[in-house]
Amino acid sequence: MNLKSRLARLQAQAGSEHTSPAPSNNLRSRLAKIKTIRLHRQRITPCCSMSDATLADRVHGKLIAEGVIQIKKYLPLSGQLGNVELAGLLNQPRLPGEPKVRCQRQVYIDTETTGLSGGSGTLAFLVGMAVLDENAILLSQFLITRFAAESCMLTAFAQSLTDNDRLVSYNGKSYDLPLLATRYRMHSLSHPLEQLPHVDLLHPTRRLFRRQWPDCRLTTLEKKLLGFKRRNDLPGAEAPAAWFSYIRHGQGENLIKVVTHNQHDILSLAAAHTRLSEAIEQPQRYQADCCAIARWLSETDELGARQLLARCSASLSDDAKRLQAQLARRHGDWSQATEIWRALAKRGCSESVERLAKYHEHINKDLHKAKYYCECLPVGAAQSLRLRRLNEKIDRQPIQSCVDDAISM
Amino acid sequence: MSIPAASFSIPRVVKTNDPADQLATRLRADYANRITGELMVPATSGRYRPLPAALDPRLTDALHSRGIDQLYTHQAAAWESVQAAQHTVIVTPTASGKTLCYNLPVLQAALEDRAKALYLFPTKALAQDQVAELTALNETVSLGVRAFTFDGDTPGDARKAVRTRGDIVVTNPDMLHQGILPHHTKWAQFFETLRFVVIDEMHTYRGVFGSHVANVIRRLQRICRFYGSDPLFILCSATIANPAELAGELINREVFAITESGAPQGAKHLLLWNPPVVNADLGIRASARSQTTRITKLAVKNGLKSIVFAQSRLMVEVLTKYLKDAFDHDPRYPARVAAYRGGYLPTERRAMEKQLRQGQLDCVVSTSALELGVDIGALDLCVLNGYPGTIAGTWQRLGRAGRRQRTAVGVLIASSLPLDQYIIRNPDFFLGASPEQARIDPDQLLILLDHIRCAAFELPFNEGEAFGRQQLAEMLAYLEEHGIVHREGTQWHWMADSYPANNVSLRSVAEGNFVVIDTTAGAKSVIAEVDYSSAPMTIYPGAIYMIQSAPYQVERLDWEGRKAFVSRTRADYYTDAIDYTRLKILERFEEKRPAQHAVAQGEVHLVKRFVGYKKIRYYSHENVGYGKINLSDQEMHTTAVWWQLNPLALDEVFSSRQAALDGFLGAGYALHIVAAMRMLSEPGDIGRAVGDGDAKWFATLGTSGRGQLRDTSGDALDPAQLTHFTPTLFLYDNYPGGIGITAPLYESRTAIVADAKLLVSDCECARGCPSCIGPILSSDEARGYSPKQVALQLLALISHHES
Repeated sequence: MNLKSRLARLQAQAGSEHTSPAPSNNLRSRLAKIKTIRLHRQRITPCCSMSDATLADRVHGKLIAEGVIQIKKYLPLSGQLGNVELAGLLNQPRLPGEPKVRCQRQVYIDTETTGLSGGSGTLAFLVGMAVLDENAILLSQFLITRFAAESCMLTAFAQSLTDNDRLVSYNGKSYDLPLLATRYRMHSLSHPLEQLPHVDLLHPTRRLFRRQWPDCRLTTLEKKLLGFKRRNDLPGAEAPAAWFSYIRHGQGENLIKVVTHNQHDILSLAAAHTRLSEAIEQPQRYQADCCAIARWLSETDELGARQLLARCSASLSDDAKRLQAQLARRHGDWSQATEIWRALAKRGCSESVERLAKYHEHINKDLHKAKYYCECLPVGAAQSLRLRRLNEKIDRQPIQSCVDDAISM
Repeated sequence: MSIPAASFSIPRVVKTNDPADQLATRLRADYANRITGELMVPATSGRYRPLPAALDPRLTDALHSRGIDQLYTHQAAAWESVQAAQHTVIVTPTASGKTLCYNLPVLQAALEDRAKALYLFPTKALAQDQVAELTALNETVSLGVRAFTFDGDTPGDARKAVRTRGDIVVTNPDMLHQGILPHHTKWAQFFETLRFVVIDEMHTYRGVFGSHVANVIRRLQRICRFYGSDPLFILCSATIANPAELAGELINREVFAITESGAPQGAKHLLLWNPPVVNADLGIRASARSQTTRITKLAVKNGLKSIVFAQSRLMVEVLTKYLKDAFDHDPRYPARVAAYRGGYLPTERRAMEKQLRQGQLDCVVSTSALELGVDIGALDLCVLNGYPGTIAGTWQRLGRAGRRQRTAVGVLIASSLPLDQYIIRNPDFFLGASPEQARIDPDQLLILLDHIRCAAFELPFNEGEAFGRQQLAEMLAYLEEHGIVHREGTQWHWMADSYPANNVSLRSVAEGNFVVIDTTAGAKSVIAEVDYSSAPMTIYPGAIYMIQSAPYQVERLDWEGRKAFVSRTRADYYTDAIDYTRLKILERFEEKRPAQHAVAQGEVHLVKRFVGYKKIRYYSHENVGYGKINLSDQEMHTTAVWWQLNPLALDEVFSSRQAALDGFLGAGYALHIVAAMRMLSEPGDIGRAVGDGDAKWFATLGTSGRGQLRDTSGDALDPAQLTHFTPTLFLYDNYPGGIGITAPLYESRTAIVADAKLLVSDCECARGCPSCIGPILSSDEARGYSPKQVALQLLALISHHES
């Protein structure tokens, strides 16, 4: 008996629970019968299907090739986004450690993809970018309406990137850029962004606000830092389904919302760049983590970090004070360092007590004070070693000064 | 010990000073009546060939510096075969230098052209061993070849370095499936220059796992085509009957097999050992455990390094305790006995392996964990506490003793399990049989479908492309209907927001494992996972679920959420589910109708209902209670082999329908044992049932010890009242869709029936016992009723020659 008739007979015996439309072929019915996998059938609601041309119109874009829609927008810098003046973008926002880049040679990028899981089965169906000129933000998006158009879109996107010195993204280092690299690789095209320096604003946002905010998603940033809340936004997580339903059934309403969502993402990204660089200047104004900023600054600019801490001295946490003392010490400003340590020591900070012990032993050469602080340290091997060494040093030295500032403890 | 010699010689009485020889002689002399069979494999000397002239001088130097000046013949043959661009499988005993067979061509190509190689090992531990060996070889003469492991333990920041800088990447099939292939673009450079794929321990890739792995290889080959490479496969295996065939199925190419080992081997004694009968009336024998401890103690006292294999983790711990009581009672001395099993931390295992290699331990007790090629040095004695279940597995374990040209002794001790008793009472079968065939079915529909999903995610499918031997276009159309792929022009694209490899386990057919959650004292921690298909018989509410020999009771089962909530208990019993299984024959693929009976194989629909469970007390094994199970019926379409009898013959031979039914049940029990053994299958791969073939009624062994008919709702029926009485005996494939067991089972039906007849007729019991036709009641024993007799009559009817 051949496969076909065998399957046909199986079908007949499978009974009524299979409501699938008259199965035209047998292997499929056999699969349906034995499957234990949980595949869910998509419910198809009939509706009029949208053409690429209509979609292009609706998003104010144009078809630049079969299946590729380019959307261009021009937003004057005289406007505002939330409470951010867009003109501030021309002030060349800069984060600690970043080289100076002309803001016109900086490109902002965000993508919408068919999934969040990564891997070669996920693609970016919408790639958005923005650059600045003297008066406006030039926004440009590439949307594909079929799989076959991807290669063409990737090429068009690559060509539109000219003379950029840096790209800026939100979570692009671990998400958008590896995904684009995969897509270029899948089409054996060279990846235009591979060598470009990359600022991922998620990382500074985390540094500045991790302790302050419940999470560091872009929408949270918009609310807390840019002062607005999106209305009628299609959540990013629904983007894959929006594209799928256009591809499958020509239902474009949600896909149009994805295009708007992506525009908002890019604008927020640009505004966030400005605002983050302001928050670094004035942490208190934006309730940013001053200590984290100072630590970050100190990696490249110790003086800047000290100035920042001095500006915020009224509201420093103990961590920030320890950092301030550490920077003062490195700078040879022992009076500031010891002042901070003494204050901290009074509050029971043993690290500061140890710093003081070291300072008096090695710098100030006041062994008795050193011994006094050493005795205040938690008992342990390191402490007893230090104490023994101090006692030996004291034995070798004529008795002199008394412990005066011990009283101030 | 390697492949058994074709004929087995009568052992000579040898006088030597070799302690292993002396032990064998002593055991023979003192316990002659317990030894049911023996085999003596004489020592063989090595056969050598010079190092290949074409070998890179740096490689030659590295070999010289490790004391290797020539190759064994099989190593040279492997070299030549690979140089001739043939896919090659090497099947030689443990410790015959298999790794050099693949390392030489791989290192040569790495030195000459910076060609890359991918090594696949079934476990992480073996992968780490291999990298250590390559690193050692590399260090003697600095070859500059970089070998890395890539698995779940590889830290995130090291992964990029492995991808871009590794010449040899050592991983496992699961990682290739979930971590590498779906991210192939990150490995582009590696795949472009991939020259060799090495698959070691190939024999572990059989059944469901092997069928999955064959599909992972198909996906690998597809990715390689995308990057323009076509790697050569080198495979290694322990002894199985069909290495070239299995290798061919796994990689979908013709494979050249090298099966002659050139490595020297010490002499080997193998003794088949049946514990003595301690209760002649009930046919009860002493435990295998008692015999194992006795022989091992004797060996260790005589200075022999020993390894003991047990079938369960629990038995490993018990045996270790008994041996430690004998040898490690003085804490001032370092331990001489150790246990080795899964569940220990990798570092502990590595430390133990090192102690074994350095001879610091005298005895190790292990589960199958040490069966694979982890290097543990030279051992003199190997004791198997119970038959490992397969002939190939038995030789593999016995091979652990006598690795380095010394005389070695192997003792196979039978437990009271039916399979063990069959093997031990039929030594000719075991000693003369070739090892089993390892089979896979890469085109099993569900498995294939899983990997088509994964492959579609990795690269779009093109029209006209093939993947497996089913109609790809139909499979893709099926996935399209379910909204997983999308057809556009001549291509099918992945179109779902998911990562399919994460939902496909290489070790099972069905999706959706259950997690077992410990809720003892308000805690909530996942302590185990249970396969979807075994969930209804292991984690029903009330079940005792064992983890590391600690009993947990199932409090609640969340079927939809795939969760079982358990808590610690002190129960002194375990539970055994009672199921009612009904089968309906859907389709006969093949059928024979000799005079008295019909035998066929085909597709069946199976409905299994778990109605309750028995509570069975430990040690005494008495039934201490029942519980109910409320689960919906489990359905499955699968394949089966079945036997039916001509109703006239039935009436003629049996005094009553009841007697015939008992005959079917007893014969089914025996056939099941023999079939499992012949098919190299895991326990549970095959199921058995007796019914009418139309799911109207089925038969189980009732509490009266007799066959009991029940109808679809589980109510008792009287066989004498039925108008049509067509009892059918089924052996079925226990996986949804079947995993390819029944076709070969059908082919060897004549031999299986003959073996089952022998199993029953040669059994020493009077009227039936668990070793042949299943347990019988002592009341039957008293009444003189013989289920054994009716089972034999039935087997005689179905063994009539086929025309």
